Amino acid sequence: MELKINGQVKQVDVEDNMPLLWVLRDELNMTGTKYGCGVSSCGACTVMIDGVATRTCTLPAASAAGKDIKTIEGVAESGNLSAVQKAWIQHQVPQCGYCQSGQIMVAEALLDSNPSPTDEDIDAAMTNICRCGTYQRVRSAIHTAAKWRADETTLPG
Amino acid sequence: MGKWTRRAFIAGGGLAGVGLIVGIGGNMYLNKAIKKYSGKGMGDGASLNAWVRIAPDNTITMAVPRAEMGQGVYTALPMLLAEELEVDMNQIEIVHPQPESPYANTFLLDPNPRKAYASYSMMAKVASFLPVVGTGGSTSVKDLYDHLREMGATAREALIAAAAEKWGVKASDCYAESAHVINKKTKEKLSYGSLAEVAATVELDFNPPLKEQKDFKLLGKRIQRLDIPEKVTGTAQFGIDARPEGMLVAAIRHASYVGGTVNGVSNIEEVEKMRGVKKVVLLEDGLGAAVVADNTWRAKNAALALDLEEEANSLENISSSDISKMLGDIIADDSKMIGKPEGHGDVAAALGGDAKVVEASYEVPYLSQCTMEPLNCTMVINGDQCEVWVGHQGGSLVRDAVNAVTAIPKDNIKVNITYLGGGFGRRAELDFVKKAAMVAKQMEGTPIQLVFTREEDMKNGMYRPAVASTFKGTVGADGMIDAWDNKMALQSVGYSSMMRIMPAMAEPPEKDPQSAEGAIELPYARNNVSVQFGELELPALQVGNWRSVGASQNGFFTESFMDEMAHAAGQDPYEFRKKHMEKSDLPDADRYLAVLNKVASMANWSTPLAEGKSRGIAILKSFGSIVGQVAEVTKLGDKQIKIDKVYCVIDCGRIVNPDTIEAQMQSGIVYGLSAALFGEITMTEGQIDQQNFPQYEMVRMNTSPTVEVHIMEVDAYPGGVGEPATPPAAPAVVNAIFAATGDRVRSLPLMKHGYTFA
Repeated sequence: MELKINGQVKQVDVEDNMPLLWVLRDELNMTGTKYGCGVSSCGACTVMIDGVATRTCTLPAASAAGKDIKTIEGVAESGNLSAVQKAWIQHQVPQCGYCQSGQIMVAEALLDSNPSPTDEDIDAAMTNICRCGTYQRVRSAIHTAAKWRADETTLPG
Repeated sequence: MGKWTRRAFIAGGGLAGVGLIVGIGGNMYLNKAIKKYSGKGMGDGASLNAWVRIAPDNTITMAVPRAEMGQGVYTALPMLLAEELEVDMNQIEIVHPQPESPYANTFLLDPNPRKAYASYSMMAKVASFLPVVGTGGSTSVKDLYDHLREMGATAREALIAAAAEKWGVKASDCYAESAHVINKKTKEKLSYGSLAEVAATVELDFNPPLKEQKDFKLLGKRIQRLDIPEKVTGTAQFGIDARPEGMLVAAIRHASYVGGTVNGVSNIEEVEKMRGVKKVVLLEDGLGAAVVADNTWRAKNAALALDLEEEANSLENISSSDISKMLGDIIADDSKMIGKPEGHGDVAAALGGDAKVVEASYEVPYLSQCTMEPLNCTMVINGDQCEVWVGHQGGSLVRDAVNAVTAIPKDNIKVNITYLGGGFGRRAELDFVKKAAMVAKQMEGTPIQLVFTREEDMKNGMYRPAVASTFKGTVGADGMIDAWDNKMALQSVGYSSMMRIMPAMAEPPEKDPQSAEGAIELPYARNNVSVQFGELELPALQVGNWRSVGASQNGFFTESFMDEMAHAAGQDPYEFRKKHMEKSDLPDADRYLAVLNKVASMANWSTPLAEGKSRGIAILKSFGSIVGQVAEVTKLGDKQIKIDKVYCVIDCGRIVNPDTIEAQMQSGIVYGLSAALFGEITMTEGQIDQQNFPQYEMVRMNTSPTVEVHIMEVDAYPGGVGEPATPPAAPAVVNAIFAATGDRVRSLPLMKHGYTFA
């Protein structure tokens, strides 16, 4: 099976129905994407597939073949953190950090499709579980990232 | 302040008499002999003591032997060292060292501040000679607040002495700043890196004084956490991310019945033919069966395909409703009240008087810690050598557990503590470590990552116990509480968890201080008080530490009942608490009062809210810190509630990192609300009903309130911050719901009573 991940083509020899999560973590050793529940409930395993935030713990890898898969490892471009990642640092969002790859992928996809989301938009899009309860800071960081994306001159270095 | 002599150091340097070291030399961990511990995994350079190593290129490596599970310890502890060492936060590299004696958490066994400049108490000695290297009970800063600053100060003075010698000037002619020693007169500078080797040989003959609070450069400031950059790029390594060369994954299946056993597997051959499967392994003592495979998904599917030969146990016919009845029966039987942690006056007489008796019975369910990262442990065994990668709250406990299962000498067991994807007490347990050792033993030479699926994690909990608590109280003609009679029934967390973790230190259930924490030493003047508890013996259903432990339920009980008493007395819940605090003779009653008043003023308590909105208040001290909260809720419809906002005030004494304290308040509140709104582990005929998140829902973005935090500035020894925000969250919200609806909810979760949340 051929998968295009973060712009690179990877060959994997797996069952068609192996969830993409386990192809990433166990076949390709890309461990930034996390396992939380295995039933698409918590969102720790979220990646972007053709720009859409997608939970991968129940998604057969074969269904992602031929599509653009973007994982947390591909969010920073040539070492430069994205506006979302910088906002996450500015607001000191992560605590244990385990769910944050998933949270960031959803936030990236949200801002790509909706450059200035309201609190209601954030409530609707950000349904991932954070057991440390970082929601308030996630919300603030999304608003900050939205501003930075709107005017790149304001993005901190 | 006592002075040290070179002679004392020499006397302490020999290993002959441990008591001698402490007795003569002050604290053993300022002794040179201990520097060897810092060599393990601490990088290049010279060790100034067990906590600091400095390389020629001026890299400052600090040991942080506490688990980073989100609470910010990888930043708070370096701040303490850096403050006195005079280095900048961006000059620090962190290493999680092996669980050796210098890093013992003595506060866990002897809850008193530890000072490097003074001898240890007997219990502190026990804690460090075992050694107990652990993270929990919101103790990290409490244990090390003085100790680490003293370590930083002595290292700094040694570096200054080395520079003074080089320049041929007096130490008092030099000062330290940003990892350099500066000559006051010539303004010459020498980097710590160039001085470290000489400094490591310096023996001070005095105890350097610590900075006054007004001179702090780091402590009390909002410092960015050192662990966050790698947590936004997916590069932070959790236990489940360990990938040693040649690693295989083991997925475990436990018995279907709580405490049941797996005695065999009837289709091993068939399962071993599945793709990627290497071996089916039966664990010792019927603890389960595991499938070892080349991929987690294949291992998990194969584990699900195992036909287990199971045996249930004594719980087979027991359900949650039965447990509820057992708890009630214990409370109804005075002879079962084995713990009497508080009592004064004559409660029976007071209750028998003319005043109307207010009665209330509360109950809370079992709860799962539900760490975001499912339980896992990676291990490789080669002959008499072992290496472990695990996110765990107790490095020394991991080593002891592996030793117990494998008989490999402790010195040959290397424990790599990774980031923890949540701890909350569950990662202080050893079940997943021991099971990994059992599998690794049978797969010698191959690194094994044992993983609990979410389902196995949820049904094999060390749960917060279900607890029943009843109150009877009276309010006198003066509007003050006259009688307060509280009886509880529960399984003992202290006894149950210590029997698993450190049986030698286990106290019997009647002496478990955790059972009553949050129910005693309340800041309210009351004439007649009795607080008692009884023990439910149900060993097969294991209970354990859950963020804030006993206070997690007792905060709900006591602060709900205070509200009921206020209502019965026709008084405002805030004013009622306030006047009882004003008459309290607790030594820190004034601190409670300040927190209570502050949170009420933040929330504009005396100003009426818009139609449909209401407030509830709660306050509790736990883990050395007082937290008061006011919850503001909106009644959207019949039993539909929105929790709009929680105002939160904490007095945790001296402040280390205010940003972390604020984050822990937000976190603790959400954790408490998840339990209050949705959390419930139930059992039906010996089997746990909840499988995964859909049956164990928690607060998400849309149900998460805005939390506004205020941190009191109080010059007192620091209290904990990881747990104390959790207990007041449930009563604040339940009291607000009562104010909004008149519905007094006496058992959790709220969901069970038909409430929904927006």
